[in-house]
Amino acid sequence: MTGSTSKIGLLNEHTRHEIDSWVARFPEGRQRSAVLSALRFTQEQNQGFLTPDLMEAVAEYLKLPAIQVFEVASFYSMFETHPCGRHHVSVCTNISCMLNGSDEVVAYVEKKLGIKTGESTPDGRIFLKREEECLASCTGAPMMMVDHHFHEHLTPEKIDGVLDALK
Amino acid sequence: MSRASFFKTFLLTELLQGMALTFRTLFRPKVTLNYPEEKAPQSVRFRGLHALRRYPNGEERCIACKLCEATCPALAITIESDVADDGTRRTTRYDIDLFKCIYCGFCEEACPVDAIVETRIHEYHMEHRGENIMTKDKLLAVGDRYEAMINADKSADARYR
Amino acid sequence: MSEDAVNITVDGVPMKARKGEMIIRVTDANDVYVPRFCYHEKLPVAANCRMCLVEVEKAPKPLPACATPVMEGMVIRTKSAKAIAAQRSVMEFLLINHPLDCPICDQGGECELQDLAIGYGRDISRYHERKRVVKDKNLGPLVSSDMTRCIHCTRCVRFGQDVAGIPELGTTGRGEHNEIGTYIEASVNHELSGNIIDLCPVGALNSKPFRYRARSWEMTQQPLVSPHDGLGTNLYGHVRRGRLMRVVPRRNDAINETWISDRDRFSYEGVYSADRLQAPMLRDGDSWKSVDWQTALEAVAQGLQQAPKGGTGFLASASSTVEELTLLSRLARGIGSGNIDHRLRQTDFPAAVTPSLGMAVADVDALQALLVVGANLRHEIPLLASRVRKAAVSGAKVSFLNPERFEYLFPVAQYWVASPAQQLAALQVLVAAARGAAAGSEGVTAEHLQVVDSLKSKERKAIWLGALAQRHPAFGALRGLAAELAALTGATLGILAEGANAAGAHLAGAVPDAGALNAGQMLTSSLHSYVLLGVEPQADSLSASAAAAMAGARFVVALTPYASDELKAVATVMLPIGSFAETSGTYVSLEGRWQSFGGAAQPVGESRPAWKVLRVLGNLLGLQGFAQSTSEEVLAEARAAADGAVPQAVPQGGGVAAIAADAAVTDVPLYQIDALVRRAPALQATRDGMQASQGVQGAA
Repeated sequence: MTGSTSKIGLLNEHTRHEIDSWVARFPEGRQRSAVLSALRFTQEQNQGFLTPDLMEAVAEYLKLPAIQVFEVASFYSMFETHPCGRHHVSVCTNISCMLNGSDEVVAYVEKKLGIKTGESTPDGRIFLKREEECLASCTGAPMMMVDHHFHEHLTPEKIDGVLDALK
Repeated sequence: MSRASFFKTFLLTELLQGMALTFRTLFRPKVTLNYPEEKAPQSVRFRGLHALRRYPNGEERCIACKLCEATCPALAITIESDVADDGTRRTTRYDIDLFKCIYCGFCEEACPVDAIVETRIHEYHMEHRGENIMTKDKLLAVGDRYEAMINADKSADARYR
Repeated sequence: MSEDAVNITVDGVPMKARKGEMIIRVTDANDVYVPRFCYHEKLPVAANCRMCLVEVEKAPKPLPACATPVMEGMVIRTKSAKAIAAQRSVMEFLLINHPLDCPICDQGGECELQDLAIGYGRDISRYHERKRVVKDKNLGPLVSSDMTRCIHCTRCVRFGQDVAGIPELGTTGRGEHNEIGTYIEASVNHELSGNIIDLCPVGALNSKPFRYRARSWEMTQQPLVSPHDGLGTNLYGHVRRGRLMRVVPRRNDAINETWISDRDRFSYEGVYSADRLQAPMLRDGDSWKSVDWQTALEAVAQGLQQAPKGGTGFLASASSTVEELTLLSRLARGIGSGNIDHRLRQTDFPAAVTPSLGMAVADVDALQALLVVGANLRHEIPLLASRVRKAAVSGAKVSFLNPERFEYLFPVAQYWVASPAQQLAALQVLVAAARGAAAGSEGVTAEHLQVVDSLKSKERKAIWLGALAQRHPAFGALRGLAAELAALTGATLGILAEGANAAGAHLAGAVPDAGALNAGQMLTSSLHSYVLLGVEPQADSLSASAAAAMAGARFVVALTPYASDELKAVATVMLPIGSFAETSGTYVSLEGRWQSFGGAAQPVGESRPAWKVLRVLGNLLGLQGFAQSTSEEVLAEARAAADGAVPQAVPQGGGVAAIAADAAVTDVPLYQIDALVRRAPALQATRDGMQASQGVQGAA
């Protein structure tokens, strides 16, 4: 529960400010409810993934046992607990997208980036996260999600445009 | 005494009938065996001396689950177990008292890994007190020596199980 | 009650229940069995195994009995086709990933999953895909883990969070990847952690020292009582062929509920320590020779007869039974010596008062205010600390006045770290505050007033003196002040003495006569001879001169289970006695409960129960009152004497003794308190055990 040295310093000012604002939205003593948002800003701060140290820092900041933060981080798919690329790309392969050729999209993206699903490019730019389940954008199938933004009606040209624009 | 029985006694007809049977049997095939030079055929399910088996790679099969000990109606089996050097569950003692054993084969039935088996060996004896206890080493030695026979018997019987 | 009561029907039988009660509680109370894995009476409800699904009329789907409150007119069917079908389906899901390794699983034979699979499982699995495999976690030296067997009931997680107060275990990942684990491999370090072994309904968490040693069906279950602290924790010893194989809790809601401390659970290993004394031994110059009992006992009788009147000191362990202590005190007085004591770690000896909690253990949960003086409560009486935690979590104001800062896993109202001298001063200030002194006068601060106020205003309150208080260089003064504070505030005074039978020792007369020597004096000045009952003078006392005192004696008899190096160096005769679980006897707990138990295991080697040894010794010395043939007879005599005794009150006040400002009180590490735990390898390998062995020279 108590680390030998404080790790709160690992959280930058912006993150701490955001966490505070989220803690304030819940009743006194219910700071556990803010774990999800706290982890989101912490992951953002660290270029897209969480480290054990950062999770401990969040736990310490919210005065929670580290395991409770780790439980949340390992449960939700939007949190990465291992080093990965900065931009998270996931292609939907659920039924509507599949019928509209998402398999070719996945194959094209994998070929273009030279990595398989679940891997990151060696330059740390793009993380091809997973074959996503339905993101409720069936009208725009096939689609993919890049850093929480939807890109619809994908064609090879469109994919090139989106992926090449990522820094 | 009736007249018929009087004549029977007098003429020894019953004796002659008996002799006739003996005479007839003289030319029939023999059913006795000249043991130990000759032996009767055995079933593959014959339940004789016990053995502990190993896997082909030499690893003991027995995992010390103690189901044989629990099922033994004669309380002939005594097992002690511990964590082996490689972290697996193993017996440190596996004794079968052959004087207590009633050769019912329940141990064999209970064994989940076919470790304890009853072989077809039935010709054994003891000369000294204490030899009736089959220790783990002795049981494994029997298993090692007769593995070919045990394996053949078990595979022959497998499809009926 | 009447407006709270609701009428429900379970399987056609009308039942009364309390409004808001969960269905499973009602069915349990009425002996209707509902299968369950995650539900545990002593833990908060999680409702995540779904095994307890029952059919409730008008509900569209089966409902979990553990998380559905009863309502007026509810009609519940626990064995209808719908309920059984739901339960069978849940069982099928649970068995999908459960390995078929029952033959090598230690839980086999006492496994809830195995039992319920007989009732609800299918004969043949329909699942042909690969089963998942989960990496085992290292949970320390006490608990072994086989996480592939886990069914995610989260009982262990809830135990850590809600009973122990250490949320170290948790569920990580989701779906197929859901796992129970600690945060990045940390071992579970808590003095009650062993309870997760009992809680685990499958073989995922098991006892590491017991691993693969025996099967549940081979062992007989014998009731025992904990020999480590004065709570009187009820235990079961599981014995196979005369050998104690493991210790598990015996449920007693008035004392330990369903829990036991790790010390109680794993100290049995010490019973079969390599240095057990196998036969009576006589000193032969510098070496030892084994002799038969007759020779040894005659040598003892002869040696004791040579001692001058009052020249023999009797030291007994505070975990000896009432029977042993009764006979020992009779023996001491029979040969004309009043020098008998069991308080080996005490330094100040005011008038002896039988230690007592002053209240029922079960009432501790409901305390509203508590002041603990000089106690490392979690180490001294772990289960009492867990009850205090229960009280504190539900709002009790718990304050401490301790020589060191000890970690408590609950909200602490006030924590003063004070040296022994400061402790006296602080108590004096509290007494002054209780008398009505205002803040600012006589050193009274707002904190003092808060504590006194909580003690005065609340209804259920107590002041406890722990083991550290009893080792205080001016225990008499400390006790007097605490008694005064208790009288002023109306709080119950509790004295939590060390050892399993400290109360029994007082009642059995194992305290010195007026004018005779107490333990402190016996351990500083060499007497002609000593009789030690289950005592290792140096290790069991904090006296620096204990070894020298023993070495200076001409004749030392040690009745001991262990031939320790210490005893070998000083003893003249060593008599092997049965340790914990090998002797029948009685302990009197701190709440005054007399609990008898029978000898569970066969004594090791030539050991004999100590009461028998003392009885024969009494006969050899030609003393009166040694004609008993069973321990029950001894107990009856002790009980009669104790019932006739007038209960003494703790004297109040007494002023402040002058003690050195740098005087210190030493805390005895958790797993060093008695000979048994010192010899339990698994306990020594825990974090507390390791720290103790490293910290001995470090603690200046």
